[in-house]
Amino acid sequence: MLEIKNLHAVVEGEDIEILKGVDLTINKGEIHAIMGPNGSGKSTLSKVVAGHPEYEVTKGEILFEGEDITELDADERAHLGLFLAFQYPVEVPGITNKTLLRESYNTIARSNGKEELDPLEFEDYLKSKLEIIDMKDSFLERSINTGFSGGEKKKNEVFQMAVLNPKLAFMDETDSGLDIDALKIVADGINKIAGGENAIVLVTHYQRLLNYVKPDYVHVMIDGKFVKSGDRKLALELEDQGYDWLENKTMVNGEAQ
Amino acid sequence: MSIAVKEKETILEFLEAKFDPSEVEVISSINEKGIRNVNDFAFPTKKDEEWRFTDLRSISRNHFVPVDQAGAKDVGDISQYYLPEALNSRLVFVNGVFDAKRSDISSLSDNITIGRLSEQGDNEAVKEHLDAYTNYDEDKDAFAALNDAHFRDGAFIHIPEETKTESPIHILNIFTDADKAFYATPRVLFVGEKYSKATIVEEHIGLADNEYLNVPVSEYKLFEGAHVHHARIQRDSKKASHVSRPIANLEQHAEYHSYTICLGAKLFRNDPRVVQNAEEVDFTVDALVLIDGEQIADTHSIMDHRRAHANSHQLHKVVVNDNAHSIFNGKIFVARDAQKIDSFQENRNLLLSVDGKVNTKPQLEIFADDVLCSHGATIGQLSDDEVFYLQSRGLTEQKSRELLVYAFTLESIESMEVESVHKLLLDEVIKYTNRDEEFVAVG
Repeated sequence: MLEIKNLHAVVEGEDIEILKGVDLTINKGEIHAIMGPNGSGKSTLSKVVAGHPEYEVTKGEILFEGEDITELDADERAHLGLFLAFQYPVEVPGITNKTLLRESYNTIARSNGKEELDPLEFEDYLKSKLEIIDMKDSFLERSINTGFSGGEKKKNEVFQMAVLNPKLAFMDETDSGLDIDALKIVADGINKIAGGENAIVLVTHYQRLLNYVKPDYVHVMIDGKFVKSGDRKLALELEDQGYDWLENKTMVNGEAQ
Repeated sequence: MSIAVKEKETILEFLEAKFDPSEVEVISSINEKGIRNVNDFAFPTKKDEEWRFTDLRSISRNHFVPVDQAGAKDVGDISQYYLPEALNSRLVFVNGVFDAKRSDISSLSDNITIGRLSEQGDNEAVKEHLDAYTNYDEDKDAFAALNDAHFRDGAFIHIPEETKTESPIHILNIFTDADKAFYATPRVLFVGEKYSKATIVEEHIGLADNEYLNVPVSEYKLFEGAHVHHARIQRDSKKASHVSRPIANLEQHAEYHSYTICLGAKLFRNDPRVVQNAEEVDFTVDALVLIDGEQIADTHSIMDHRRAHANSHQLHKVVVNDNAHSIFNGKIFVARDAQKIDSFQENRNLLLSVDGKVNTKPQLEIFADDVLCSHGATIGQLSDDEVFYLQSRGLTEQKSRELLVYAFTLESIESMEVESVHKLLLDEVIKYTNRDEEFVAVG
């Protein structure tokens, strides 16, 4: 479904390379976890895949269902079925969740030649998804993320994902800052959406979320590259030993080069 | 070598003066004073503190004639501009001249007086209140002087004690196309007696893309406990110059809420002033400015607290695109004995282009020691992160920007009491943000 080949990226207009040759293949139905210390480039990778204009791909390619999407705008990628759950969801006072989601849903439907939903149909559809994140109807009428608690913002990302039903979602630190109740709700939500045709990438610093959402693959990113991949056991190893042993190894390699 | 001393310029340099005092005595005495002042008061320059940032060339490079010499075109059908809520409570002025055929005040109750100033010469309220609360002579205000010298007519609204208008009153100033640039001096006198209540929509609309100079003066007097909701909508021609002088004078327990919307004109200079004349009043001086192209929108407001106990608010929201230029100077005055004032001023600017310009200056002059006055000014752009967030949800970049601008303006628009005005402004915001591209309606 997604194939990233030797991806290099810089901040637009700057020389500092943040991604230094990333390779990743994700198939239908899989759950991947990308872990790594702060500043390793894992958030950047999610933004680059989603098409943030702040970053420039200098080398390599991103193939989504066989199509090179490296040059596409963020909205075009969304139309193809990509989704990014933001680490810091943006507040938009004055526009309700419902308004945005209807606009999003119908725009994506239109671009895929599918039928749009009228306001009444859409309202029913939205309400059917609310239980996934355990929120009340009034949540729909609130301005996007405005005055939301940290937990509500993260739940809203999961809710948007449920409504838009993307083929592939990158979830950038969706677990950070959540208390235990909120973490369980968010994890349950992800589990309900995951599986079948969808693939999910969890980008996280800690393995806490991975107790509830079981990844098929775990990749460790350090200094803009994956240094180790494995299954769920790798996450537990990291929990025990931290990232130092991997970082040291890369330093040794670095010196060796 | 000799040094030429240039005499000061007056506004008369830029227009064909034709000031014959009115036959109505209460008006003619103001006309005569105005004629003296207009010859005496200097036309402002950038050396004047109050005009430092304002480019007045749309006036000073022009020559305006009286409207009867301008070859003004016929007004035609303007029913699309009538507010459905005010179909029978509307006064229409075309190029500053009253239009009886298009006005309709049949829905107002008998004891409310509404009509032409020129027909109310014997009305005690007109004699008492017309030109009674302005400070324009002390300020040596050349524009107010022009209005004083030239106006022959205007709108007069008098709401008696304990009376409320059932429908909003629409004062519709229409400006037509013309062969030559002309000037007009609309005037409004509103008197709300004790515990009266009214909603007024004052609107200026240019039908074509022509140059004219629009210099309105509006005077609002609110007696004890009077409530007024005052919407002012400026949709002049994009080549017009509009210099506005609205003033409100409030007695005890009066509530005055004003909302100015600036969409049109090449140059819009607006100097709203609210004077608190007795204790315990409540007032608002909000504005929403949407400008682009080469437009200049300049607001110099005064919230003048002279007595104790007032709540006053000012939310001045501005969106600037292209080369447009917004200027804001918000004065909050609190006199020495005016304790317990709660006043808040906020100026928020959204810059959509690299070449747009914003000057903002809060100016608080407080001589009392037990007051709560605060102000804030922000100038920002749509952030990449906001746009990216919406784009990542499938909205195009253009649509994302539209939605964010729309969200920015919404707070101001929601203050509008009259439903059709609310709707009109939403359409205007959509038009402003949309420009050439197809728009898909939101919500």
